[in-house]
Amino acid sequence: MPLLTDLTAAVAAGKRTDTVRLTQELLAAGTGPQAIVEQGLVPGMAIVGDQFKRNEIFVPEMLVAARAMKEALKLLEPMLASAGIKPKYTAIIGTVQGDLHDIGKNLISMMWRGANFAVIDLGTNVPPEKYLAAAQEHKAHLVGLSALLTTTMPAMKETVRALKAAGLPNTRIMVGGAPITQAFATDIGADGYAADAGTAVDVAKQLVASLA
Amino acid sequence: MSTTSMTGCERVNRMFARQDQDRIPRQDTYWAETITRWQREGLQWDHHDVLRLLEADFAVLCWSWPPVFPGQRELLREDAETETIRDAWGGIVRTWKGRSGTPEHVGFGCDSREVWEKTYRPAMLAAPNQVDPQMAAVRYAEARKLGQWTHLSGVEGFEALRKILGDETCLMAMVDDPEWIRDVVAVHTQVVLQSWQAVLDQGVKPDGLWIYGDMAFNHATMCSPAMYRELVWPFHKQMADWAHARGMKVIYHTDGRVSGVLDLYIQAGFDCLQPIEAKAGMDIRQFAPTHGDRLAMIGNIDVMKMATNDLDLIEEEIRTKFAAGMATRGYAYHSDHSVPPQVSWDTYKAIIGMVERYGYY
Repeated sequence: MPLLTDLTAAVAAGKRTDTVRLTQELLAAGTGPQAIVEQGLVPGMAIVGDQFKRNEIFVPEMLVAARAMKEALKLLEPMLASAGIKPKYTAIIGTVQGDLHDIGKNLISMMWRGANFAVIDLGTNVPPEKYLAAAQEHKAHLVGLSALLTTTMPAMKETVRALKAAGLPNTRIMVGGAPITQAFATDIGADGYAADAGTAVDVAKQLVASLA
Repeated sequence: MSTTSMTGCERVNRMFARQDQDRIPRQDTYWAETITRWQREGLQWDHHDVLRLLEADFAVLCWSWPPVFPGQRELLREDAETETIRDAWGGIVRTWKGRSGTPEHVGFGCDSREVWEKTYRPAMLAAPNQVDPQMAAVRYAEARKLGQWTHLSGVEGFEALRKILGDETCLMAMVDDPEWIRDVVAVHTQVVLQSWQAVLDQGVKPDGLWIYGDMAFNHATMCSPAMYRELVWPFHKQMADWAHARGMKVIYHTDGRVSGVLDLYIQAGFDCLQPIEAKAGMDIRQFAPTHGDRLAMIGNIDVMKMATNDLDLIEEEIRTKFAAGMATRGYAYHSDHSVPPQVSWDTYKAIIGMVERYGYY
C-alpha cells in the first residue's frame, strides 16, 4: 500500500502521473479523500511554498506541482462534495480596479488552493463593491487584493477602505503585488502583506488563525 | 540647462568604455497618464519635449517584435473601458481603451507543441519583415545630426515565449518539453536578427542594441538560473555575438529581481542592464561595486520615491545612487521603470535639476 508521504513527495516534485496513480491507490486501499487532501496533497504544496520562498525552486516547478495537485483533486472533489466536506476557510481574490494584471494573482490563488482554501477568483479590474459583495455572499475569511502598477495602488487603498467600512469582523484583508510594500499595506489598513506566493500562504494561515 | 562638451554618442560610448565623461548619459520613460498630467500642469508639448529638457542621449531607430500573424487584430468584445481582441500573436488580450497599462491575457492560441509546429512556426518564418528599414535609415540620419547614441530595439526570446505561449504554458513546458521552448526562442531570435540585418543593409551603422525581455518579478527570476542558462541564455548570447560582430554594444532591459543571473548576463555578452528595478530589491549601491566593471547600469532611480513628491527623499536617492554608479564610469540616469502619474511636473523638473547637479564628473 502506498504511503501518504509518497503522495506528498510526488506533488512536491510535480509528478502528475504519479500523483494521480498514488491517489487512486490510496483510495483503493481505503484511505479517505479528506485524509488524502489534508495529509498527502496539502503537505506537498507546503513543501513547494517553502522551497519557492528560499529560491530553491521557481515558478515553473511551482506550476507543475499545482497541476499535479489539481489533477488529483479532480478525483477527490466529487467524493468530498458528496460527503459534505468543504475546506475550512474561504478566500476571495482579485486584481484591483484599473489593473488588468493577472499573473501574480493567479499564482497566489493556486497556492491558496494548494493550502486547502476554497478560493473564489473575481478576476481583474475588480471594483470595491464587487469585492465587498463577494466577501459577504461567500462569508469569506480572507480577501486578497493584487496590484501590479503604481498607478493602481490608490484603488487598493479605496478597496481596503470600503471593506473596512462595511465592518466584516470575520474577514481579514491581505494585499500584494510588485509595487506593494509592508509599509504601504500598514498605511492603508490591510491586515496582511506578502511579498511572494510562498509567503502568501503563511500570511493567509496566520490571518485566518487570528479569527475568533 | 548647461552646455555640454560631448555629444550623446561620445558620452554613451565612453560610458561603455569606462572612460571619463563630462556627465552621465540620460534617458527616461513615462506613462501616458504622466504626460497628460504634466500637460495640465504646464508642459507645453509631449514626452519628446521632456526628453529634450532632460537632454536625453539615446535614439531608437526601430522596434522588432515579430508577430506570428501580421496585421491580425480581431475585436472579440468590448465594454465602456476595455476591449478584448485576438492579436497578431494569436492571443486573446483585454486592453484599456485610451490609457496605458498591462493587458490581461485571456487566452493563447499556441497551447501545444503540435500547434506550434503545424501553424505558428511556419507562419513566423514566412511572415514578411515588420521593421521598416527605410524609416530606420531616416531616423538614423536625424539622430546622427543630433549626436545621439543610436540603437536598434526589440524583444528577446523570453518575452517572445510569454507572448506566444502564455506564462503558464511556457513555464510548464520549460519543465515538460524544453526542446519545444528552445525551438520557439531560436525561431524568434532568427526572425528578429533578420529584421535588424535588413536595417543594417541600408547602410545604417547603429551604436548598439537595446533588447527587451522581462524575465523576473519582484521575488526572483521566473525560472531558475540553470533553466535560463539551458533554454534562453544561448539565444541571448547569439544576439550579443551578432551585435558585437558588427561593432555594437548590447543593453538588456528586464524588470524584476535579477541579482541571481547578473553573471550569466555578463557571460552572454550583455554590456549593460536597464532599468534595475528598485522596488524589486535591486540596488546599484550593492551591484555597482561587484559588477559595475563588467556590466554598465542604466536606471535604478526609484519611481516609488519619485511618487512621494518628497524632494529631500528623491534627492537622497539620486545623490547616493549616482555616486555608486559614477564610481564605475559605467552609469546612466533613468527611472527604475517608467515615471508614474503621481509625480507632479514641478517634481520632475526638480528631478532634472538634481540629475544636472549630481550627474557631472
